Amino acid sequence: MINPLRSESVQREAAVMAGVVAVFAALPFALPLIGGYGELAVQMTAWAIFALGFDLLVGFTGFLSFGHAAFWGVAMYASCLSLIHLTPNVIPALIIGVVAGTLVGMLIGYLTLRRYGIYFAILTLAFSQMFYFIALSPLQGITGGDNGLTGIPNPLFFGTQLGDWHQIYPMMAVIAVGAVYVARRVARSPYGLILRAIRSNETRLQYTGVNVRGYRFVAFLLSGAFASLAGTMLAMYETYVPVQSLFWATSGEVVMMSVIGGLGTLFGPMIGAGVVLYLENVLSASIEQWLLILGAIFMAFVIFLPGGIVEGVARLRRLVLSRTGGDTNA
Amino acid sequence: MALLDVHSVSKSFGGLAALSNVDLQVEAGRAHAIIGPNGAGKSTLVNTITGREIPDTGTVTFDGAPLVGCQPHEIVQRGIARVFQTPEIFHDMSCVENVTVAALAHRDGAFKLNFLQHPRKLRAQRESAENCLARVGLQDKLDARAEHLSRGDKRRLELAICLANQPRLLLLDEPTAGMAQHDTQGTVEVLRDLAREGMTQIVIEHDMDVVFSLAEQITVLHQGSVIASGSPDAVRENEAVHEAYLGGAHE
Repeated sequence: MINPLRSESVQREAAVMAGVVAVFAALPFALPLIGGYGELAVQMTAWAIFALGFDLLVGFTGFLSFGHAAFWGVAMYASCLSLIHLTPNVIPALIIGVVAGTLVGMLIGYLTLRRYGIYFAILTLAFSQMFYFIALSPLQGITGGDNGLTGIPNPLFFGTQLGDWHQIYPMMAVIAVGAVYVARRVARSPYGLILRAIRSNETRLQYTGVNVRGYRFVAFLLSGAFASLAGTMLAMYETYVPVQSLFWATSGEVVMMSVIGGLGTLFGPMIGAGVVLYLENVLSASIEQWLLILGAIFMAFVIFLPGGIVEGVARLRRLVLSRTGGDTNA
Repeated sequence: MALLDVHSVSKSFGGLAALSNVDLQVEAGRAHAIIGPNGAGKSTLVNTITGREIPDTGTVTFDGAPLVGCQPHEIVQRGIARVFQTPEIFHDMSCVENVTVAALAHRDGAFKLNFLQHPRKLRAQRESAENCLARVGLQDKLDARAEHLSRGDKRRLELAICLANQPRLLLLDEPTAGMAQHDTQGTVEVLRDLAREGMTQIVIEHDMDVVFSLAEQITVLHQGSVIASGSPDAVRENEAVHEAYLGGAHE
């Protein structure tokens, strides 16, 4: 867990961010070496930002949302409709996508955040399904219904076409690094401390004079904005918006990625997104029933390693350090 | 004028009257104890003061402003901090983090968009948290996780959280319950020091030694009504109190 009271070191933060830059820079080159392909980096980056935003809400405040597909999907439609009807320029599309997704967050957050636990999960699920069904049929003239939104022009970045993954990935990688920086900054800020306190004991937090509902709402919006940003970028690359992007399974996928990676760690869910997408693309080529395997992996994590990959790595590290007699606090 | 003025407050749950026409005046700078047998309505009274329960009738006034209808966090921001009967602390956070949250709430108010603020801006709050922890005797446990503390230490941690709020009125619901003898002694010392510094306190307590060594005023509740109120000596002599409570065979 990122600790605002202990992570003041500027050098350490700079080193972490340098590592993040290196990973995003190396990703498209590393993937082909391990049986993947460069294009997968685009998918991984988008889903990693999605999972990062998800973690800001769920990992920190403990509110399990099952409706994040709404932000992701609405942002996809909004940005691509902007590409079709307004301008193929990528910047307005990005802004429109994020604003639309965040507005959806305001609506859903306002209506659902008064409930807790399973009720909150079910409410967010129901609201996001509403968006799915609205896109599927009443609005099919705009959204393309079951066929998805097609006929989207390649986005333009000041005259340069971003059609190929080589062209769009650098922009995505830069945005992703920025997103990681902002998320870490939030986690280390006083706000991050309050978010953890929300998860820990809401009654006490209220009785220290904090307007819990206000902070929770902002966490929800922030999380929704990250999900929107991620959706926007992926849709503009694919130049296609499937209606399934609003379907509950999309929310389920981000939950699964986050749990496999390790909730509440920020990097964990991003790693989880990478691992799941890698398996999905590499395994599904050779094994037809790869979803079964993914399900088994998910269950194994929940049962044996609820802290996800991040906890697994930490355990391994402790094990190795204790074997070699190293300093476990290093 | 009294700092806290509870006027004619009634509250029933279903058909059961938990409080009926309760009056309570707490003068600034005084330590005021509320005693009474189990089920007398002590906790309900504290809940109506801190915004947990809304009274059916009556008013609660703090420093001239009405409290009824305010959210708990608004009441805390006006200067009323509360120690609960079962300690409410942030279990999976360290002691110093627990108290820093309160110091932060004191600095930033109920809500502030502080999500990009640099962690170094928390230094002053961390220092104030360390002082509060030292005050209650937890200076050696700054980095201990709250859930690993003993019961008595958890209560003291909660007291430190309340102190970081720098309240004008401190409400303590059985602050020494479940503490060993020497722990109780230490907590009583801290509370007496606070009283000497002029912090107004309301203490609900079963331990009569604690009550009589702390309180300058005592109010006795019985079956939801105030049956006596006054100085410790006056209450000790009161017939009705003896009958209802002190003279009871079990106390």
